Amino acid sequence: MTNRKLLSEAKLWLVAIPVLLWTLIPIYHIFLFSISTKDSAFSGRLWPDHPTLRNFGTVFRQEHFYLHHFWSQIWNSLWIAVATGAITLAIATGAAFAISRLKVKGGRTVMNAALFTYFIPAAFLAVPMYKAMGTYGLLNNRWSLVLAMVTLASPYAIWVLKQASDKLPWELDEAARIDGATPMQLFRLVYLPLMVPSLVAIFTYALLLAWNEYLYAFLLLSHENTIPLAVGLGHFLASDDSPWEILMATALIYGLPPAAIYYAFRGYMVGGLTSGAVKS
Amino acid sequence: MASVSFSRIEKSFGATKVLHGISLHIADGEFMVLVGPSGCGKSTLLRMLAGLEDIGAGEIAIDGRVVNEVDSKDRDIAMVFQSYALYPHLTVADNMGFSLRLRSERKELIQSRVADAAKILNLGSYLHRYPRELSGGQRQRVAMGRAIVRDPKVFLFDEPLSNLDAKLRVAMRAEIKALHQRLKTTTVYVTHDQVEAMTMADRIAVMNEGRIEQLGEPLELYDRPANLFVAQFIGSPAMNVFEGLYRNDFVEALGARWPVSGLRAAEGQRVKYGIRPEHVDLAAAGIAAEVVVVEPMGAETELLVKVGNPAAGGQTLTLVAHGRSSIGPGERAFLAPRLEHVHLFDAATGARL
Repeated sequence: MTNRKLLSEAKLWLVAIPVLLWTLIPIYHIFLFSISTKDSAFSGRLWPDHPTLRNFGTVFRQEHFYLHHFWSQIWNSLWIAVATGAITLAIATGAAFAISRLKVKGGRTVMNAALFTYFIPAAFLAVPMYKAMGTYGLLNNRWSLVLAMVTLASPYAIWVLKQASDKLPWELDEAARIDGATPMQLFRLVYLPLMVPSLVAIFTYALLLAWNEYLYAFLLLSHENTIPLAVGLGHFLASDDSPWEILMATALIYGLPPAAIYYAFRGYMVGGLTSGAVKS
Repeated sequence: MASVSFSRIEKSFGATKVLHGISLHIADGEFMVLVGPSGCGKSTLLRMLAGLEDIGAGEIAIDGRVVNEVDSKDRDIAMVFQSYALYPHLTVADNMGFSLRLRSERKELIQSRVADAAKILNLGSYLHRYPRELSGGQRQRVAMGRAIVRDPKVFLFDEPLSNLDAKLRVAMRAEIKALHQRLKTTTVYVTHDQVEAMTMADRIAVMNEGRIEQLGEPLELYDRPANLFVAQFIGSPAMNVFEGLYRNDFVEALGARWPVSGLRAAEGQRVKYGIRPEHVDLAAAGIAAEVVVVEPMGAETELLVKVGNPAAGGQTLTLVAHGRSSIGPGERAFLAPRLEHVHLFDAATGARL
């Protein structure tokens, strides 16, 4: 018994350690670069001789050619991510409530359509999306990326929220109806408060999806003042002699908000994405 | 307060017809219990009255007003659910005041109404708790409080005690009954438990397979069941029933002659002979039986006895004797059914003879 337990524990570690290293080494690499001077960045050491925070100063003061729009680009990233999160949340919540609780006609069709679109690779839609945004004159406008990301995030969001909604006890709706609630009151006073964990999870999901997006951002936005930081980072690689230490410092800064958000909402992410997370 | 009337109510789910033309009038202030086995349509009928289920055919009227097309919220009813259906994110006070809040009533009014209801239900010290912090019985009381606060014309209860343990169920039964006696609000109460029906109802409608088998006061149903179904559904332990041939002043069954009084069937007719456990006495002479099990309960003793030749399909009957019994398993006994309490039913239709 004890031996078998030990064995299964050992197997677990055998898998866990490589996975952990696989994840952590690149991050450590980024960190290492970001605190190294330009000359020692490629020294191959595990810790630089003269660790420095100067690179971060360079980034914050926008003192490099590639970083002249750092603050506006990170603001773009944030703006796009929050807008995507908010709009996706609004759409998915409305859809899930209507389909799951109000049982609107055609709900199943919408769910199947959502599932279907979910299987279409985002890259496949990139060109049509570019064309569509061009038609509406939205190219080079942050809204184009927000709308594109909402399109990509919504199907999954609707699915998750619909599943979570289905787990709310039906008697609550009936009790509220008898208590005199209109559908809007039911939505506002009963449904939303009980869905908070799932809503937080979906908001975070859409926010991170948009924050991390590169392909669509690269396609739809091209002006230095409209692009998000992800695309700005890509520009570093345009020259043969890339300032790696500054690129990595910027990347580290860029990676912090998602990490912080994920850490803050980790409970909701696990609970909210896997279940209704509501005790009745 | 109001009367409720169902007339020729029908309902189908898909191809399955669950209600076959139910007509029932519930008087103002009456406590009506709909009782029956699961699937008999009692909950569907209640949910139709609540407006949670479409009315297939027929009319439902509350206080003389036909409510078929009226929204739940405008029917002036309050419902208590089996699962309590309390809003988990609201405190007890907010749960109880929810309906008033939806109607945008003044805060002071909501507070005073909630306080009144809490006083009736002894929930005063729990008003700021959340449902998850309450016991099952307390939750059920909050659910009732939510109904009381609305001061509706009709209370609807859908198996409200099924989720509670046996002891609490007895206590809550008394509480609901006391509540009704105090508020005198017309009440429709659905349960599958005949004990709840017997103890609480002014009148009971026994339902089976989408029909009302019998409607009447509890003891009326107990004393004069209209058919076999009601006879066997009402009463615990259940009525002893066995088949036999009707002779002029007795029924030939289980190899014995069972006495009957008065002429109630045709000579030679196949009948079901029914006698409640407490209406069979042990006597010095009578129908021979063998005691199988003795269950002393203190105030009374339950006996299982075997009558007739086991090889020829003898039958086990239940007897309830007042007080204690000195008889033991394996002993012979003689049964004497009390004539005035014998029930006879048509063997084919189950109707009372």
